[in-house]
Amino acid sequence: MKTLEEAYAGPYRQSLARDRRDEDDLFTLVVLGEALGVPDPAAYYTMELMPYLYQDFHAWHRRMGIPRSPLDHVACC
Amino acid sequence: MAPSHGDSALASGSRRMLLTSLETRSTVYVGGKGGVGKTTVSSGIAHALAARGRRVLVASTDPAHSLGHLWRVSVGDSPVLLAQPQGGELHGVELDPQATLERHLAAVRATMDRMLPERMHKAAREHLDLAAQAPGSHESAMLERIASVTELTGTEFDTVVFDTAPTGHTLRLLSLPERLTGWTERLLANRDKSERYQAAMSSLVTGRHRDEPESELRQMLHRRRQRFAAMHTDITDGSAGFVAVTVAERLPLAEHAELVAELDVLGIDLAGVVVNRRAPSESGALLKARSALEEAALADQPPAAPGTPLVSLPLMAEDLTGAEQIARIGSMLTG
Repeated sequence: MKTLEEAYAGPYRQSLARDRRDEDDLFTLVVLGEALGVPDPAAYYTMELMPYLYQDFHAWHRRMGIPRSPLDHVACC
Repeated sequence: MAPSHGDSALASGSRRMLLTSLETRSTVYVGGKGGVGKTTVSSGIAHALAARGRRVLVASTDPAHSLGHLWRVSVGDSPVLLAQPQGGELHGVELDPQATLERHLAAVRATMDRMLPERMHKAAREHLDLAAQAPGSHESAMLERIASVTELTGTEFDTVVFDTAPTGHTLRLLSLPERLTGWTERLLANRDKSERYQAAMSSLVTGRHRDEPESELRQMLHRRRQRFAAMHTDITDGSAGFVAVTVAERLPLAEHAELVAELDVLGIDLAGVVVNRRAPSESGALLKARSALEEAALADQPPAAPGTPLVSLPLMAEDLTGAEQIARIGSMLTG
């Protein structure tokens, strides 16, 4: 039963997961902008969002096609 | 040529109009080109309001503070009593965003320590220090400081008079609440979309739910948006008024015209215009020539639309520092 449900829902789920991840990645890019060299006029306010993104940072930069951590001080790999 | 009786009656009418316009405001921003006398005029206005029994705070937002120099006392980031004219009170403060920035950093650091595993603390802190040095961070901290001083109106003070930095900086600062509201809304829209995809996924396969950090993040964005929107309302709902100071020369008048136009775009009320240091027309050839030039410049570039209180201050021989001179400026502006 589980398998059937998975077979039916799987493709939709993957597509939704991808869409969600794209949104999350964009969010990360905006929040880390200043540290990546994109001047962020709202840096004072984005910095309070940073703690929520760190855990996913490594996976994020790999998805962005950056093999090694683009932040000098974050040695996640 | 001595001013005719009609001129002087007109001038005193304008001063009363300015006072009436200012008495209804809880915050007054005084701004203009560098060197036109913003600090003197803002302290004069603050003194005049205090002399009508109000509790007034004059707050300098220019990083190059000159409020203390004007009063010849030491003024810092906490209000000090400057004068007590006729039952009112006049306090002064030179806003220092550095302390605000430090407090903000400490709060973010605390959140990081709570949320991140210990091995990441060092990296996160270094990253945070970078963001703190971003050019806009100091400006945002000043905005926060202005908002917290504005909150004192209605409790500790009846009126706060802001002595602002030169035109460009101040216009940028006053446009921040609206732009930051937009910034928060875009981020929230992004989180909404992400949330919807997540919800759709959950409905296909039961089990996974959005975690705690995500809802904290959204709450933070919601709080910020509300605060920015409130700041924007504070400066555009008519409880705030802007007094534009200029001198009667062509370049300052051109910048003044741009300032007035930009205030209109931002939706901030122009409460009055002060033309400072007008040369007298009857004391010697040099000043007479200056006076004629100023008249011509003012005729070409009228600094205030009809209906806007327009007050002139004469060029004065005295050193305009200290409480007595400021009281005098105050009554010349409004008496």
